[in-house]
Amino acid sequence: MAIHHKILGVATLLYLLVFFLHILYFSLKKEKALSAIWITLYGTICIHTLGLVLRWIESYRMDIGHVPLANFYESLIFFAWSVTFMLIVMRKKIPYPVITMCASLASLFLMGYASISPSVDRSIQPLIPALQSNWLHIHVITCFVAYAAFVISFVCGLLYFVEWKGVVPPKEVLDNINYRSVIIGFPMLSAGILTGAVWAHYAWGSYWSWDPKETWSLITWIIYALFLHARLVSGWREKRIALISIIGFMSVIFTYFGVNFILSGLHTYAT
Amino acid sequence: MISLLGLDDAYHAPWFIALIALFALSLVLCSLRRLALFVKEKKTIVLPEEDRLLKMDLHSYIPEKDFSETLGLLARRYRLALGDGRGAVLERGRLSRYGVFIIHASIIIILAGGLMGLLFGYRGFVTLKVGETKDRLTLRGKSPAEVPLGFALTCKDFKVNFYPTGEPKDFVSSVEIVENGKAVLGKEIRVNEPLSYKGIRFYQSHYGSAPVFFFNVGGEKVALMEREAFRKNSLLLMVARYESRVHDFGPGVLVAYLDGGEPKATWFLKNVDRLREQDLEGVRVSLNDIQEQLYTGLEASRDPGVFVVWAGFVFILFGLYVNFFVRHRRIYLLKVPGGLLVAGTALRNRGDLDKEFKNLLEEIHGHTP
Repeated sequence: MAIHHKILGVATLLYLLVFFLHILYFSLKKEKALSAIWITLYGTICIHTLGLVLRWIESYRMDIGHVPLANFYESLIFFAWSVTFMLIVMRKKIPYPVITMCASLASLFLMGYASISPSVDRSIQPLIPALQSNWLHIHVITCFVAYAAFVISFVCGLLYFVEWKGVVPPKEVLDNINYRSVIIGFPMLSAGILTGAVWAHYAWGSYWSWDPKETWSLITWIIYALFLHARLVSGWREKRIALISIIGFMSVIFTYFGVNFILSGLHTYAT
Repeated sequence: MISLLGLDDAYHAPWFIALIALFALSLVLCSLRRLALFVKEKKTIVLPEEDRLLKMDLHSYIPEKDFSETLGLLARRYRLALGDGRGAVLERGRLSRYGVFIIHASIIIILAGGLMGLLFGYRGFVTLKVGETKDRLTLRGKSPAEVPLGFALTCKDFKVNFYPTGEPKDFVSSVEIVENGKAVLGKEIRVNEPLSYKGIRFYQSHYGSAPVFFFNVGGEKVALMEREAFRKNSLLLMVARYESRVHDFGPGVLVAYLDGGEPKATWFLKNVDRLREQDLEGVRVSLNDIQEQLYTGLEASRDPGVFVVWAGFVFILFGLYVNFFVRHRRIYLLKVPGGLLVAGTALRNRGDLDKEFKNLLEEIHGHTP
């Protein structure tokens, strides 16, 4: 087993530790546990980044060097990384452990799925000609940062329907954090779609081909555009906004997983 | 029914385009209404009375400070929007108000670029054997048609490189553009590295190998692929079908031709002397050789709208940034008996206004001329 697999395995265990620290915090309600959560999260993202970097170096050693953003396994690992990254970016805006707990559970799930599922190929594969482009990096990074922001929005949307005094933050706070994550996610998703379009123009000869992934990313974009219009123009708040963020995330999931497994298209190398 | 509704090609169906047009129209109307609103609002900036200012989240009395001195201090960071005898209104980040307009206008620009591509562009492909030259491309669509390029494209070489694992690493077509019998440009086309010439782009799309048939037709040597036709004097012939084994006689090719306007077909067999050479319509035709040859498949397209679309992309990203991350805030400065009243509001994207306002007050208090 290559060293990067081991390091990423350690990162997965650290996500589990983050989860247990949250449980500890909720049972003890000690400030110390809260700072332990954040210290562990910072440590986790360092180890996680190290794992990605080692995989990158390993690919160069194999003479097929490329950034680890090229196949389904690598995208899962990067998705988990992006969620943690987004938590750290939004740290000041989300001082509520229940949100960090749910988001790092999402990372744990992604890491676990990536390392356990028999259908995921974990080897480093050479880049096929279509993926040999600098647009790969910017396209994948913007898309997954957007997905990560939508994870936080989804968590807020779900928690809205959970009644648990002292654990779940007040509803208007959830509503506000939900909006804040969507205004990060939406421009990022736009950037992801647009960089994808520019790349498609150079690689396939057309900036828009109505490939299933393109179409579904557009559907997702429209749902979040509706979210923003409902909130900013029609003044919708709380319950209905929470519902749209849940629907939006279902669409993200379908764009990311569903399209790969159910519909075939130009993005098939992502499976 | 399905083809009547255009469901097999929904994105080009009239109802789909009509929907997009309707969407664009509503965008235009919404944007114009909003723009009018902002312009009107800009004209009606007023300095509210003291009691209204006191109701704002952030406000503070500053005793014994000179008005113009304080205004000068504020004007370093804020733009003066209104100034009169009673006081002043300053603001920053007004651009943020136009973010929505920029975003919606960009969508219109992108759609317009797409429409330009639909109306004035086309998509097709060119298949070239190594050494072959073509001056037209085949259009995609329900009824394939050919379009002259205005120049000719020659494939000088085609290579596929593989990784040690056996996966393809690189497809490279070395091509040359020939205009008026002169080679004007040579380039290697790879995936992700198209060739652009006179508004037409050529992309490496696929490749393959196909048998090529070397004939001698009435003393003229020609190389034909399946489904290719050739005319010599009154004889029009076409390679209809290739078989690698015709019974036990080895490779053969079925050639179709016109006999007095009536279509006929005959087999040429490479390994059978009697069937290698035949007289068709009085022209001596012989099959000299059959070879597998690599060909390169180039996607060819013309899209004059693409730069309009790019411009729309840049504008929309700028608009999204401005709309969500540029903070529009206003600072009111009112002369009151014994000093000044400062108040601040965030009109859009509140951000950290509390901190900013606190810093501002400290600066005013601490400022000694």
